[in-house]
Amino acid sequence: MASRPLNDDEVVSEMNKMVAFIKQEALEKAREIRIKADEEFAIEKAKLVKQESTAIDAQFEKKKKGAEIALKIKQSTQTNKSRLRLLQAREQYLQDLFSTARDQISVLSKDEGRYLQLLEGVIVQGLLQLLEPSATVYSRPKDLELAKKAAANASKQYKEISGKDVEVSVEATLQDDSAGGVKLRSGTGRITIDNTLDERLRLLEDRMLPEIRHDIFGINENRKFYA
Amino acid sequence: QSSKQSQGIQTLLEAEKEAAKTVQQARQYRVQKLKDARADAEKEIEEYRKAKDAEYKTFESRHADDTSDTQSAVDKETDAKLAQIAESYKNNKDAVVKKLLDRVVLVKPELHRNLKKAS
Repeated sequence: MASRPLNDDEVVSEMNKMVAFIKQEALEKAREIRIKADEEFAIEKAKLVKQESTAIDAQFEKKKKGAEIALKIKQSTQTNKSRLRLLQAREQYLQDLFSTARDQISVLSKDEGRYLQLLEGVIVQGLLQLLEPSATVYSRPKDLELAKKAAANASKQYKEISGKDVEVSVEATLQDDSAGGVKLRSGTGRITIDNTLDERLRLLEDRMLPEIRHDIFGINENRKFYA
Repeated sequence: QSSKQSQGIQTLLEAEKEAAKTVQQARQYRVQKLKDARADAEKEIEEYRKAKDAEYKTFESRHADDTSDTQSAVDKETDAKLAQIAESYKNNKDAVVKKLLDRVVLVKPELHRNLKKAS
């Protein structure tokens, strides 16, 4: 430092130095601010983009998944519909089969010799189920004579098989348009048996279903267990 | 003398003023940059979204084709099976009807298995 006061030139020079210093400091500070601003800009932008992109990706995945599930549901529905069509068709054929059979049982009573045998058979069967000392047989009006004969033979067969006696009476209360056969009732009137041809066919329809299915539609490839 | 002093101080004050302006400009630049960040980000995000939507559309149309294919395949298979059932029924119906009718008249009277013939 000068110990004497400065002359004019020295003053000017000092002045300029100070001005330059102030300017330089400002420029440096401004520069730092700008650099930092650029950094923060890049960081902030990247953060925002990443945030939203992740959200968009998540939405996208969800949509895709939803579409896949919808597809699976559709395919499953298609398969189900197909199965239902097949089952309905089979059911229709089955009904057709049964109604054909029902139409044909009325001819069974035409052959007198065999029909008599049949009546005997069903009456004995009925008596063996009743196991009563007395019974009433109900037949169609047109079968009345035949039924009386059959009942007489039947009670003999009944004695043969069971060793028991039975008293049988015959009444003609069935409808004439039924296919044939008889109904029975115990003497006390408490037990009834329907052994008409219609009823026998109905029972067969039900019990023979597995066999019928096998005969008409072939074996079930999906089935694993048999009794 | 004093006028020269005040002149010097004036010069310094002006230099300070200029310096403050420079720094202020830098600060404004910073503020603007932050706004730009948001605007640029929005643009990029929008482009990304569009790209993803387009991707999804192609994915969707591909699957729509799949569905109609499977439907016609299933229908074909079903029709074939239906024809098979019809054929099978035609061939076997009479035999089964006969079976049913034969058993209607087949009677086998038996004594209940828990009983013995009374002597």
